[in-house]
Amino acid sequence: MVGWEGTIALENRAAVALEDTLERSAQGDQLAFADIVRQHQGMVFGLACHFLRDRSLAEELSQEVFLNLHQNLRSIKSPAHLTFWLRKVTSHRCIDQARRQKVRPQISLEDVPEPFTHPTENDLLLSELLKRVVDALPEKARMVVILRYQEDLEPAEIAKVLDMPVNTVKSHLRRSLSILRDKLSRTLGEVTQ
Amino acid sequence: MSRLDDELRMAFRREQPSGDFTDRVLVRIARQPVPKLKWWQTLAALFQPPKLRWVAIGATAALLVAIGAAQYARLHPEAIDDGGKLAGTPKAEGGSNTARDAGPVKTPDVIHQAPEPKLEPTPQRNTDRHLAAVSNRKPNHTRAKDRVVNPEAEAAREKVMLALHITSETLNEAQRAIRDDGYKPQR
Repeated sequence: MVGWEGTIALENRAAVALEDTLERSAQGDQLAFADIVRQHQGMVFGLACHFLRDRSLAEELSQEVFLNLHQNLRSIKSPAHLTFWLRKVTSHRCIDQARRQKVRPQISLEDVPEPFTHPTENDLLLSELLKRVVDALPEKARMVVILRYQEDLEPAEIAKVLDMPVNTVKSHLRRSLSILRDKLSRTLGEVTQ
Repeated sequence: MSRLDDELRMAFRREQPSGDFTDRVLVRIARQPVPKLKWWQTLAALFQPPKLRWVAIGATAALLVAIGAAQYARLHPEAIDDGGKLAGTPKAEGGSNTARDAGPVKTPDVIHQAPEPKLEPTPQRNTDRHLAAVSNRKPNHTRAKDRVVNPEAEAAREKVMLALHITSETLNEAQRAIRDDGYKPQR
């Protein structure tokens, strides 16, 4: 059993290892870059996939993000900076993609179908319902919700990633959650609060 | 923490792409053309440690040759320049016939050592039209004569040319070393 001290030591070691990987990658080591891709692909692909709701499009966009990273490796200063950079580039690319192609179906909140079974019996259905409701939100509000719940970011961090005021992020979150609660309370009754 | 938050976290947890995602990224990177460096990046690259040494060697060699040439010009003002004109002669620019009439300019030791070359007598041409015609460019045969006239200056010119050649070679080597990093000079 590893205590909290052991956990911190492991995290420090991982951070040092990632820093080393980043340095080697900046010097042209392709294996090191592959390690970076493997470590961050879940984050990048997850953001793109939840936002675009299209796996192939999300993979394409994620690949472009990593290509962009490869070209800008020298400007990355630390593992924390790398994570921030990837979140920022992915978010902005997703928003641009959605605005440019309008690939996502334009569903109004009222058109989101109701689940036909109780959520505790089938959480997948609830997840799907939540995704559909979030999918109907405007681009920036949608990305705020995804960054908040996929990456567990605070409003101030989201504001930095999306280049917007913290208060705007908070109001997006408030409004989105209110819409979600409203939709779910109408549908399920017991899910709210 | 509300139940809605938990449900949202579960719904929006990270997802993994297909298994060969990393390989496909690497393939796309390999296919990408090498980005062309901007001029300031190239300049900055010259001042990185391994290349800086070769740049310093080239710059020092060029500086030494320049100083040597300047020093030589100061000590031997009578040396003939590359165009065949007499440097340091007041009327050298004014007209070739003046220099020809006055004969070669020599240092005292040259006067003692070198025999007086036999020059073909040339007709006096002091008309203004002729001066204007020859002031800008000397005829080739005149230049050849001037070279024969002052062997020391010719030897000096050859030395300068040799030094320039050596410098050029050194700079070429430095440039090659910069281009393919890790190149070692043959000497």
